[in-house]
Amino acid sequence: MVSPAVALIGVFIFVPMVLTIWLSFHQWSTQTGFGTAEFVGLRNYRDIFGPISVGRDFKRAFSNTAIYTALSVVLILPLSVALGLLVYQSRVAGGNLLRTVLFSTYMVPMIAVALVWSKLYSPTEGPINQILSWVGIGPQPWLSSPDTALVSIVILNVWQQVGYFTVLAIAGLTQIPTTLYEAARIDGANPIQEFFGVTLPLLRRTLLFSAVIAVINAVQVFEPVALITQGGPANATNVLTYHIRRVGIERAQGGLGSAMAVMLMLSLIVVIILIFALARQREERT
Amino acid sequence: MTRSARRSNPVRQWRRRALGAILLLLIVLVAVVAAFPLVWMLLSSLKTPAESMQTPPVWIPSSPNFSAFGEVADVIDASRSFWNSAVIATTTTAGILVTSLMAGYAFAKYRFKGRDLLFAVLISTMFLPPIVVLIPLYRMVTYMGLNGDLFGVIVPYLANAFGIFLMRQFIAGVPDDLIDAARVDGASEIRIVFSVVAPAVVPAIAALALFAFVYHWNTYLWPLTVLQGNTDDYPIVLSLGRLLSYNRGAMNTSLVMAGATLAVLPPLVLFVFLQRFFVDSIVSTGVKG
Repeated sequence: MVSPAVALIGVFIFVPMVLTIWLSFHQWSTQTGFGTAEFVGLRNYRDIFGPISVGRDFKRAFSNTAIYTALSVVLILPLSVALGLLVYQSRVAGGNLLRTVLFSTYMVPMIAVALVWSKLYSPTEGPINQILSWVGIGPQPWLSSPDTALVSIVILNVWQQVGYFTVLAIAGLTQIPTTLYEAARIDGANPIQEFFGVTLPLLRRTLLFSAVIAVINAVQVFEPVALITQGGPANATNVLTYHIRRVGIERAQGGLGSAMAVMLMLSLIVVIILIFALARQREERT
Repeated sequence: MTRSARRSNPVRQWRRRALGAILLLLIVLVAVVAAFPLVWMLLSSLKTPAESMQTPPVWIPSSPNFSAFGEVADVIDASRSFWNSAVIATTTTAGILVTSLMAGYAFAKYRFKGRDLLFAVLISTMFLPPIVVLIPLYRMVTYMGLNGDLFGVIVPYLANAFGIFLMRQFIAGVPDDLIDAARVDGASEIRIVFSVVAPAVVPAIAALALFAFVYHWNTYLWPLTVLQGNTDDYPIVLSLGRLLSYNRGAMNTSLVMAGATLAVLPPLVLFVFLQRFFVDSIVSTGVKG
């Protein structure tokens, strides 16, 4: 009963995962068979962390991805809780409609998101700079300056993803027993104390899950970079998914690309363990 | 203070109304900001090419027309791209439903050696970004002779951990008595999966079908890697990328926005009509405290 699923996942996920690790110790052209791979030990790893251009590009892509991921998570989590509360409250109507609008952006293909936002960001004919000018803020270069390009893509990502995390937050909110709020109110808690004393601690598991998913989604950013910025300007948006594909598929340096992929996987494991450790530590303290 | 006395307290009542007004304002504001990019996309697709490039931007098209859509259809063979997207999304979804139902049933209702370990190992793949396996997978698909082929896009994704996880969660709630009764009647296990268990978990199947369909309609990285310029087999999201390079010289915004609108509509329409299933499945899968 499990064999079709196990066979497919085994062949198309586990086998290539092991191959990625194996290839990372080899020099190999992606255009040729696995048999042509030539063992080179740790050379690929030395290269991607070395001072040569291969290393410089990889380290830049790595730090861009780290910044992009951290910013995305830091923006998405609080926003999802705030928007979740806005949808979940029963004081005024419109919550469910808001949820529909927010979540619908999650259904939009990233490629379309990238194209639409590239126009929204346009310094001259884009509406964002026009709106900013109405409130007295000068035109921003957005995607065309190395200082703002990565942040611009983070904003685009947050817009696309926040609806999903809002639904997760709402799911967490529905799990909080109303008796706890009643008890807090009897104790004389104001809404702010209620939020920090009841809501936030009980959302911890939801936020932990959200953080992990947000990290994994963020490292996969590809379309806006591939289509609009091509990693530029001045390498400012060269992120790992884009860079690994460029090295491993387009330049056919399969071993080098695999070493980069292994580093991405290891970093993800470390980050996820850190998130769990942090959450556990908090739990023990309270 | 009695309840009615509290309600009639004018200060309290005023505060209550003010808070309500602020909340309502916030909801409207957030909804407008969230919807703005899509509304802009739609409006721009109805503009004339010149209008879509104007500075400062024109918000409302002066004479809305669908000519950009016609041009998109010519440039990228939109009906062919649509068909390819539909083929990729439906066959992948069908495969995922079958494999997930079977595996989910086994994990929920069978006891076998190493079950929990196997389940944990499978689930861990849910957290693996596709880029990590992209390079060898590309080569493996070439070995299978599926490079540049729609089958190459589809075959590696006929099973996934999320589907198995979702199905196990829901099938665990199907009463054992129901399954035992079918066994007594002499039904085979495969038959039990598809004619006893499946009808009992229709909402989960609907949710999984929608998620899988939307995901594989939208996915870009893998088809781009496998199809390698075989534009005949391009799904709509890849054709959209071509649209940009096609008109890089002229930068005809209304054309690109019309293309984006075409790509967005199917998943969005599906979602708007069936959002209950999406939301229910998110609520009921991961995050119970």
